[in-house]
Parts: sequence; structure tokens; C-alpha cells
Amino acid sequence: METLMEAQVTVGDQLPELRVALTPTFVISSALATRDYTPVHHDVAIAQAQGSKDIFLNILTTMGLLERFVTDWAGPGALIHGMKVKLGVPAYAGDTLTLTGAVSAVEDARFTVDIVGSVSLGAHAQGSVRLSLPR
Amino acid sequence: MTDLETLAKQVVGAGESPRMRASEAVSGPLIRQWTQAMGDKNPKYQDLAPPAMIQVWSMPGADRTAFQRDRIPLDDLLDALTESGYTGVVATNCEHTYHRYLRPGEELTSTTRLTEMSGLKRTALGEGYFVTWAVTWYAEDEPVAEMEFRLLKFRPREDKPQPEKRKPYPLKPAVNQDTEFFWDGVRAGELRIQKCGDCGELRHPPGPICPACRSANRTHVVASGLGEVYSFVVHHNPPVPGRETPFVVAVVELPEGVRIVGNVVDCPPSEVGIGMPLRVIYRPMDDELTLPVWVPLEP
Amino acid sequence: MSGVPAAIAGIGATEFSKESGRSELRLAAESVFAALDDAGLAPSDVDGLVTYTQDANQEIAVAREVGIGDLTFFSRVHYGGGAACGTVMHAAMAVETGAASTVVCYRAFNERSGRRFGIPDARLGGDPSSQGLEMSWHVPYGLMTPAAWVAMFARRYMHVYGATSEDFGRVAVAMRRHAATNPAAWFHGRPITLDDHQASKWIVEPLHLLDCCQESDGAVALVVTSAERARDLRRSPAVIAAAAQGSGSGQMMMTSYYRDDMTGLPEMGVVGRRLWERSGLTPADIQTAILYDHFTPFVLTQLEELGFCGRGEAKDFIAGGGIELGGRLPVNPHGGQLGEAYIHGMNGIAEAVRQIRGTSVNQVADVANVLVTAGTGVPTSGLILTT
Repeated sequence: METLMEAQVTVGDQLPELRVALTPTFVISSALATRDYTPVHHDVAIAQAQGSKDIFLNILTTMGLLERFVTDWAGPGALIHGMKVKLGVPAYAGDTLTLTGAVSAVEDARFTVDIVGSVSLGAHAQGSVRLSLPR
Repeated sequence: MTDLETLAKQVVGAGESPRMRASEAVSGPLIRQWTQAMGDKNPKYQDLAPPAMIQVWSMPGADRTAFQRDRIPLDDLLDALTESGYTGVVATNCEHTYHRYLRPGEELTSTTRLTEMSGLKRTALGEGYFVTWAVTWYAEDEPVAEMEFRLLKFRPREDKPQPEKRKPYPLKPAVNQDTEFFWDGVRAGELRIQKCGDCGELRHPPGPICPACRSANRTHVVASGLGEVYSFVVHHNPPVPGRETPFVVAVVELPEGVRIVGNVVDCPPSEVGIGMPLRVIYRPMDDELTLPVWVPLEP
Repeated sequence: MSGVPAAIAGIGATEFSKESGRSELRLAAESVFAALDDAGLAPSDVDGLVTYTQDANQEIAVAREVGIGDLTFFSRVHYGGGAACGTVMHAAMAVETGAASTVVCYRAFNERSGRRFGIPDARLGGDPSSQGLEMSWHVPYGLMTPAAWVAMFARRYMHVYGATSEDFGRVAVAMRRHAATNPAAWFHGRPITLDDHQASKWIVEPLHLLDCCQESDGAVALVVTSAERARDLRRSPAVIAAAAQGSGSGQMMMTSYYRDDMTGLPEMGVVGRRLWERSGLTPADIQTAILYDHFTPFVLTQLEELGFCGRGEAKDFIAGGGIELGGRLPVNPHGGQLGEAYIHGMNGIAEAVRQIRGTSVNQVADVANVLVTAGTGVPTSGLILTT
């Protein structure tokens, strides 16, 4: 894994797309890895009783995938300072989550990457990650 | 003001909770479980915790009774919402700020403060309240991270889709070579609009020949799924097979520049109006037919 | 229309009811007999028949029952009630070209006691014909009754022009007032008020029950021959000054929601322009009009499309009494399909003939020219009859 240097990045840079197949195993194992045992993330019957068509991704996993998406691109030398996510449509098991993003701002050597995570129903998550890179 | 709103006001007034011990110390095994589940191969996490894990250290885990912490006023509000029938829960917003990376072995404490509870909102999932709170994590007395978190506590709709055996829905469309791409799309969760493979003209309803350039080379685009009400009706009489009255049918204008007809659902007919922003959802009508239908777009 | 104008020389009808108790073929035959008697012609004089594609009685069946012999012309006109004036146009063309000398147009049905158009039929969208596919963009969503199809246009019209349910209601009130003094009308002696209209149940918002025409059993027939010959017959002729069919760009059956604008009836605009052009007349030359009134909102739209008032101004024209007996343009003196009967527009053509003859029970003074329209929201047709 290579680390991007501050001078290599400018506003408008696109991040390589990340596609994550949301298998039931992925949805359940990531929910449990975030220690989120809410049944809608692992129990199909309860998810449907709540009006959902299937189990769906939990927000901590969405946050974790946004962080991975950025550091996969920026490398291990990047420092993550914060992130922000607004959830849209649910990311159901069986769907594919596609993350796309671009550098939207740089201020005081802090970069902001704007990210959209899409599933077949539309935008699952819109958010941004703030980071800095080695000089 | 409802009892719930009164309670929320009290909880906001109570301010910051006392410091609470996190449920787990920062630890290598939990970090590895996370990075493996996420597929995150960043070598930095051999010695440091992924910043996005901050909330994990305070999650109660599978056995809520095993982890004892003092109740805080926010617990009372969330329990009261559940007891009032707002049993559904879905997170909507989360914002993290990290002051530094954490190392295995660090033990955290946190404080929590209810920022606000919205009024009763009508959403695609059902009626409910948006609850927003703020958390600060400390290592010793050093603040290491902050979070603002919002979720929706909602009353699940009664007319939830039944995944069991369905009665055949009587109102079936005719489908032929010119229109099957649309219905295939709907089954795949896509709203497809015919596009001329030569001149690019979009057209709905579709047809075999492009009226702009005579081309029979047909493709399609997948619509954004957004639209707005151009006109609508509320059907009351007579009864319609396969339908409960009243129901709403609208001409929906899409930002792509075409119109399409569909039902507006999960919204009282009296709240539908021309210009109302919508988004499409896909509703299985029976084991064969799925229809694209429209719900109000949440602001 | 050309060198040898055609005319309507005879009109005939059965009673209008909710349950005729007779077959549709019998109703057709009775109305044809009545029309021939009115004209003073015998079945053997008839050599052409025209009806709607939607009519269940084939021309040959009617010819057998009535005792008509050889036919040299038979034709059907499509698109529901949009066919009404089109049957007369086809008959006139046959007469003017010499394809036939005497053509009878007829429409007969038990629309109330038999198959009712307003009852949703799940099969509407099931057939992969062009019409079945067109319906398939609407029927699966339960948008499948004429009232619902029209209501969609009405809502947009209200939004754009600020018209209200009361503006539609005033059409219903006027039609019922006219019908109240017409003994042949189902609603003879039964006028309504605007409050009755507003209190009537919702059919499909924004349409109340009293925005919708009735459902009727009955039949109407018309005899078309050359104006020259008609002058020698029993009745004074209603000369066909112009006849036209019209379909607009992007036309559909009742659901033309995909055109630029949803507040007009472009197909009626086509008909109107042709009628004015062919007859050399203008709206000011028309003393009374028969406007197709299956649902009230389209009466407003027709007044605008035909040039009797400007876009969005029909509500003021109507509120000012413009469409009532004694008004600027009395509309449907017989009570229309809202008040007299729903015979798919054919009873309106018969009333136009009576107005030309001066024999209507609600006769408008000094009638020289009458404009008649056919079904709205569909490919349609129109006539101007003159003395």
C-alpha cells in the first residue's frame, strides 16, 4: 500500500471506485464486528416485520466502508480527522454498494473527500471524510 | 405538547450525562474482527484502531444485561418512544471528529447529551421522531473523539409487504418486445427510460421506432428515481380489482424530461399536491409483478 | 362540403332508460325504423350503414332486421364516443362521392343494464395490441375508468387556470336545468343545485358523482342523404356545412398525459379548425352548440378549443350564464348526456337536427347554425349543421 503525498492531491481528483457485494454474510458479519446486534441487521423475519424487504447494512459499517474507501486510495500514511454521513435508501442484502468520491476541498492542508454510496434503490449514503497527508 | 415531547424537553434540559465507562477497552482482537469484516487491509491498524471504530468501544454487545452502566436520561426517552409504539429504529446521520488515533489497551469513558427531538414526522417507513444526540469520548481526561448521531424511531406501517404467498394481482400489464425492457428493469429495481441508440432521444411510454429519427436501435437509461407530481387523482369509486380505495394515481414528471404514471403511496391522499417531490420505490404486487410506485421525497 | 352537400333527413330514437329489457339489436332496429319514418323513407331506400366499432350490432344484422336489401357502403368509426359525428362524416362522404345514396348511422346499447363503461375491467391492459400496451402504462396502477382518466386532466386544468369544482358543477347544474324541461330526458323534472353537486360523493377526485354523465340504455339513428334529395322529403333538412375528424400529436385514448400540455384537447382543436375552415363560419355564427359532456371539465376545455372563449376563460363564460338557455351560447338544450341520456353522443346530433328544424322542446331562437362535437379525450369528430 503506497501513501499519497500532500502535493500529489488536488481538488477534483477522483477516487478509484469501490464495489462491495452485500452478501448476507457481509451484512451480518460487519454488523457484529461493529458490535451492533440490532436484529434488523441479521434477522430477516424481524427486518420484514419492520417493513423492510430484507436485512440491511448498519450505519457503523457504512462509516467503516467510507473510511476504507478513502484509505485504500490515500494509503496508510493518511490521517483521518473526521467523517460525516447522511443515510438515504437502505442497503439491503443481495445488493451491491458502489462508492464513488472526489476531493472537494483543501484547507490548511486538510483535504475533504465527498463520497456517494449507491445501491440499486438509489443513494444509500452521502458523506465526506476529512484527512491529511504526509508532505 | 405530547408527553413524549415534554420528556424530550426535560432530557435536553438535563444536559450532559455523567462520564460512563466504555463497554470494551480498545483491543487488537476487536480491531482485527472489524478490519476483516470491512475488508480493510490498511497496515496502520496492526498497532492502531481505525478511527471509525470509536462508537464500537461503547456498544453494549449481544447481551445487554451483561454490560452494566448507569442509566442516562436519553435511555428513558428511547424506551418511552419504544413503549409508545415507535418500535422501529433506523440511523439517519452520523458525524465523527477524531483528535487522535487510539491504541490497544486504552480504556475510554464517554458523556452523552440529547441535542434535540423533532416533532412527529411522516416518513416512508412510518410516523416517527428524529432523535439527535452528541457523545464525547475521553481517554483519562483527554477528549479523543466526538460524535453527533441522529436516528429515526418510528411506528412500523401496518400495510407492510407480506413476503408469504400472495394472491395474484389482477391488473397485469400487457408486455411485448417493445416494452419488456421496462418491466425487466422494474424487477431489477431500475426505472428504465427508452433512449434512441442513434439520436439519444428519451421517450416514455416507449415504442419500437424513434419518432425523432426513425431509428429502431433502442437502448435505455436508468432514471434517477426522482420526480414530481404533474397531476394526480384520488380514486374513490367504483371499487377497483386488487386495490383498496381511496388510492392516488399521479402523472409524475421526471428530471430526465419525460412523464410516467404511477401510484403515490405511503402518504395520505390529502397531502398530495402538484409539484410535490417524489422518489420511486418498487412494490411487489404478487409473485410475478412488481410496480414502480412513488413516495414523498424526504427533505 | 363539396358541390353536392349532404344533409341529415331523419332522426329516430328509442326511449332512454336504465333497463331497456330488449336486446341491443332490437334497439338498433327500432331506432332505424324511427329515423326512416321521420324522413319518410322506406328500408329499401337505404344502401349504406355506418356505426361505431364499439357497437355490438353488425351492419348486416341491422340490415336483416330492418329489411334493408343491398348495401353498397358500410363503415365503422373507431375511438369510443369520438366516433359520433364521424359516422355522419363517413355517411356524407359516401353520399357526396356516390358510394351510396341514403346512409343510416346508428348507435345502440344497453350501457346501463349490460356492460357498463365505468366499471373497471381488469382485461383492459391484458392484450398486447397497441391499445392494450397503451393501457398497460395506466391500468396496473388502477387508473382504469373514464372518470379517472378525465380527472387527471381536470386536476391539471384547475392548477393552471384556477378553476374549481364549483366551476365544473355549474356545467352539471345547467345541463340538469335543460333536461328538466325535456320530457325525453331521464332527468326530466329533476334539476339540481350547486350544493347538490358539491355534496355528491367523490368518484375520482377532483370529480364528484354529478360531474359524470349518466349511464343509459337506448339507441339513436340518423338518415343521411343529399341535401337536394332531403329537401323533397318529409322534414326540412339539416345540411352538413362541415364535418371533421381530429386526432392530435402524441394522441392516446383518454390518457394523452405525455404531450407538452395537459390543459387542452388538441384533437378537438384539429376538429374546430377544420369545421371553421370548411364552413367559412366563425364562433359568432353559431346559435347553439352540442358539446360532448360525459364529464363536466371537458365542456370548459371544448369552449376554449373551439374558440368560444380564450384559454382559461371558460369558467367565467359559464359562471356568467353563457352556456344556458338565453345565454350567449346555449349548450346542450336537450340536457346533454348529463341530463338527457348517454347514447355515446348520437342523441346530441339528433338534438342539433331538431334545433335546425326549430322543433326542440327547448328551442333556441333564430337558429341558423349548430355546432356538434363527439367524445372528448379520444380521437374525435365534429359537425356544423345549417338550415
